[in-house]
Amino acid sequence: MNSKLKRSIWCWLALSPLVVAVLFPFAVMFFTSFKPASEVFVYPARWLPMEWRWQNYVDMWQAANFGVALRNSIVVSCLSTALALAVSLPAAYALARFPFRGRGVYRQFLLVTQMLSPILLVVGLFRLAAMIPYGDGNLVDSKIGVIVSYAAFNIAFAVWMLSSYFQTVPRDLEESAWLEGCSRTGAVFRVFLPLAVPAVVVTAIFTFISAWNEFAVVYTLIRSPENKTLTVQVTDMVAGKYTVEWQLVMAATLAATLPVSVVFAWLQRYMVKGLALGAVK
Amino acid sequence: MSRLPRAVAAPRAPWLLIVPSLVLALFIISYPIFNIVYQSLHDVSRFGQIRDFSGLQNFYNVFADRVFMSALRNTLIWTFFVVVGTVLISVPVALVLNQDFYGRGIARTIVMLPWSVSLTMTAVVWRWAFNDDYGMVNVTLQRLGLTSGPIHWLATPEYAFPVEICVGILVSIPFTTTILMGGLSSVPGDIYEAARIDGATAWQQFRQLTLPLLKPFINMAILLNVIYVFNSFPIIWVMTQGGPDDSTHILVTYLYELGFRLGRPGEAAAVSLIMLVILFAFSVVYLRLQAKRGSAEGDLA
Repeated sequence: MNSKLKRSIWCWLALSPLVVAVLFPFAVMFFTSFKPASEVFVYPARWLPMEWRWQNYVDMWQAANFGVALRNSIVVSCLSTALALAVSLPAAYALARFPFRGRGVYRQFLLVTQMLSPILLVVGLFRLAAMIPYGDGNLVDSKIGVIVSYAAFNIAFAVWMLSSYFQTVPRDLEESAWLEGCSRTGAVFRVFLPLAVPAVVVTAIFTFISAWNEFAVVYTLIRSPENKTLTVQVTDMVAGKYTVEWQLVMAATLAATLPVSVVFAWLQRYMVKGLALGAVK
Repeated sequence: MSRLPRAVAAPRAPWLLIVPSLVLALFIISYPIFNIVYQSLHDVSRFGQIRDFSGLQNFYNVFADRVFMSALRNTLIWTFFVVVGTVLISVPVALVLNQDFYGRGIARTIVMLPWSVSLTMTAVVWRWAFNDDYGMVNVTLQRLGLTSGPIHWLATPEYAFPVEICVGILVSIPFTTTILMGGLSSVPGDIYEAARIDGATAWQQFRQLTLPLLKPFINMAILLNVIYVFNSFPIIWVMTQGGPDDSTHILVTYLYELGFRLGRPGEAAAVSLIMLVILFAFSVVYLRLQAKRGSAEGDLA
């Protein structure tokens, strides 16, 4: 037996309890979502469905108002990501390229915004939304309020990730562009940004995922069913109900989770580099 | 060095670049903070009407509330055990994932997977998995012959909170492992070779080389995790809503219940402020300690 094979067995053995714990909820979601109601509530329960009921996903789409919630989640996540990036890109560029005064203060400010999680401010955020007039009413129960607050709370993360990547883009390229008569701004757009595209894409996707997964702010600000996002919609299927149709709930959680998990699985290695660099510098 | 004259020539440029982010963040943060301070000092009706200035009455009410005190204690227990548990598991996991072995890519992906799932969804799934009669946890334990009858996990105060702590640890591992793996990737490989030639055992290598190099990353992971875990709302809210019998409330869930369920927004604002003070004090003390210890080590070296 070669040594790498032996090491592989040991590594997998060491990781096995964690692997089981991580995959357990996915297995629960998957198998429950295909059981007919009569098999969900049967004692003693069993893991595998005896009859695989695909119809659950069709029923869930109706019961959970899934199409509407899905669209809301997409709209909120896309727009808040766009807004967060629009303000974070210039700030990250400044942090990576200019040794300016107040840089340390700005970094500390970002750390403090990380500390003030939305849930701590939720009582005041609600008031803020209620104060701003919009349409016939105010920003309570409007997606705009949610979008803007997500963007604001994601700035720290986005600036952090982006500036740590930007530091790895060599300066020489921009500088040689200046020597060839390109303006500083021109060099940013023609030389720097094309090189930074991967970093921007990765940051955008992680910002998107965190907006997609957020709960406390939407739960507080959004009241009407036509504006609810997936996290709130799924919680509503469970919370305060006397009987919960778990097979439909599991179908909804799996359908809401799987696309994001797949994208995340594909991109997670970029996270290791970006976060670690940002964390200690 | 050609960039220097330009940077000096345009000292306002970096500020102009930073302003949009600063404005947006300040806008979303400053008014709510002001408003929380304001509400906490006033008598606020159930429907949010601000009545009279009431001084510290909201704070007195909160401190006199039995549930607040137990929520405060639970928050400390919750934060401590989730963060310590997470770090204790994440260090070996990061070390293993840093080895060269077959299927490492898959292993990394699996370990990271909980990060991609909304805490809300995770909590919903675990709530079902811990269901008394039909949940897969009890089913599996019974099939394996480990228990004879169903355990009422979430309905028993002694079990519900530890179960939630375990779920909290599980969802915090990916982030922590990520930071630690980033730290390990910055460790140069040849120092291990040198150590091996000098006859250091694996444990010695870990104690003398890996751990000191990982230390700044572990510290950062602890600080950020304390902030996240202290503020973590969905797991407890979805799994038990603070029950049974208010035994699993932590400050965030208690705050939410006061503000949006029990109709006591003034007291909710007071709890927010108390939490802000705790977090801020912790961060300052922690960063100070770090800086002091860092400079002490620097002197020795």
